[in-house]
Amino acid sequence: MTLTVRRFLDAGRAALDLGLLQGEAHLDRAVREPALNRPGLALAGFLRYFAHRRIQVIGLAELTYLKGLAVDERAARLKAFFESGIPCIVLSRGIRPLPEMPALAESYGVPLLRTHQITGRFVQMAAVLIEELIAPRTRYQGTMIDINGIGTMIEGPPGVGKSETALSLIVRGYSLVADDLAELRRVSSGEILGTALDATRFHMEIRGLGIIHVPSLYGVTSVRREKRLDMIVRLERAMSAADEERTGLDAQTKDVLGVAVPFFRIAVVAGRDISNVVEAATLNFRLRQLGHDAAKELDQRLMQQLIAERPRTSD
Amino acid sequence: MTEASPGADGTAVRDVKVLNQYGIHARPAALLVKTASAFRADVMLEKDGVEVSAKSIMGLLTMEGHQGAKIRISARGDDAAAAVAALAELFEKKFFED
Repeated sequence: MTLTVRRFLDAGRAALDLGLLQGEAHLDRAVREPALNRPGLALAGFLRYFAHRRIQVIGLAELTYLKGLAVDERAARLKAFFESGIPCIVLSRGIRPLPEMPALAESYGVPLLRTHQITGRFVQMAAVLIEELIAPRTRYQGTMIDINGIGTMIEGPPGVGKSETALSLIVRGYSLVADDLAELRRVSSGEILGTALDATRFHMEIRGLGIIHVPSLYGVTSVRREKRLDMIVRLERAMSAADEERTGLDAQTKDVLGVAVPFFRIAVVAGRDISNVVEAATLNFRLRQLGHDAAKELDQRLMQQLIAERPRTSD
Repeated sequence: MTEASPGADGTAVRDVKVLNQYGIHARPAALLVKTASAFRADVMLEKDGVEVSAKSIMGLLTMEGHQGAKIRISARGDDAAAAVAALAELFEKKFFED
């Protein structure tokens, strides 16, 4: 998703104390390189390697430097700065624009933004915000639950029992993240974070009951706003014996936003308590993260025994 | 090494030997179970008088099917002959391991 100056401004109004000084008409300009730049060297006349695709932040240092220049020198530097194709300028610390700036901003279509935050803090927080804004994201059909710290997505065809399985897990004390539809985004650490859509957050639809508000029924610990996605469990109605995992030796993954997420398929059969199976899957996953792979360990012990038992001379 | 006993009333039997180096550990057991589960017939494996279902992973893992062990495959049901043939083939092919 392209980052426009408008998106940056809208997201930054509350988070970064950002406001628009001028350039309403040019807010749809794209920030071609979603990052920040302090243009000290560019303003000093060194325009090679100038990161002109980034959001330009002018703080006290830049301002003081510009103020110290001769008037015509300053006009020339600022013109070169504006015409290089910069997406927008943020003046920090509540700085007022220099007298040349409004006209240049208007003629090159560069919006002028301002924050009252000090520059260092603004740059740090804006970098975090930009990362949020450009994180690859997708909507994912499934019910997401935090089971013992393992973010688990339960997916499957309609009516297979995703919400009912989630409900019995909630009754056991685990927390709902999103019912039936989750928003996933990949952050720079390579993790995927899942959250509910605002409209339906903390609600679930249970067939035969309708819509319930989970924390009202099960308390504040029964919901979670956001959770890292650790594994996906797919519930399937009809599943051939050949498809079902029987040993746990062959780990499967599913690609979500370019990340390989551990993936399990569970056949839904009458009389099988699926929430038990899902809970066991997450516990086993956790055990594996701690370095214990039960299936592999059993298999290795077994192979040793079998080797020891075979006759000395095998015919 | 194997002799097929012609089955009356939908039973089939065949004797095989474990050929692969590591014997019936988890992977071969899973392969046997998946193959056996594709048939309607009840399929059993027997070694030294102990019989386990070929559709049970845990059963197969306890049968100590090391290399050289003699195993009797038996099946009962309308597709018993095909089930026995399919399982015997896995033994002969060393479970695609060695």
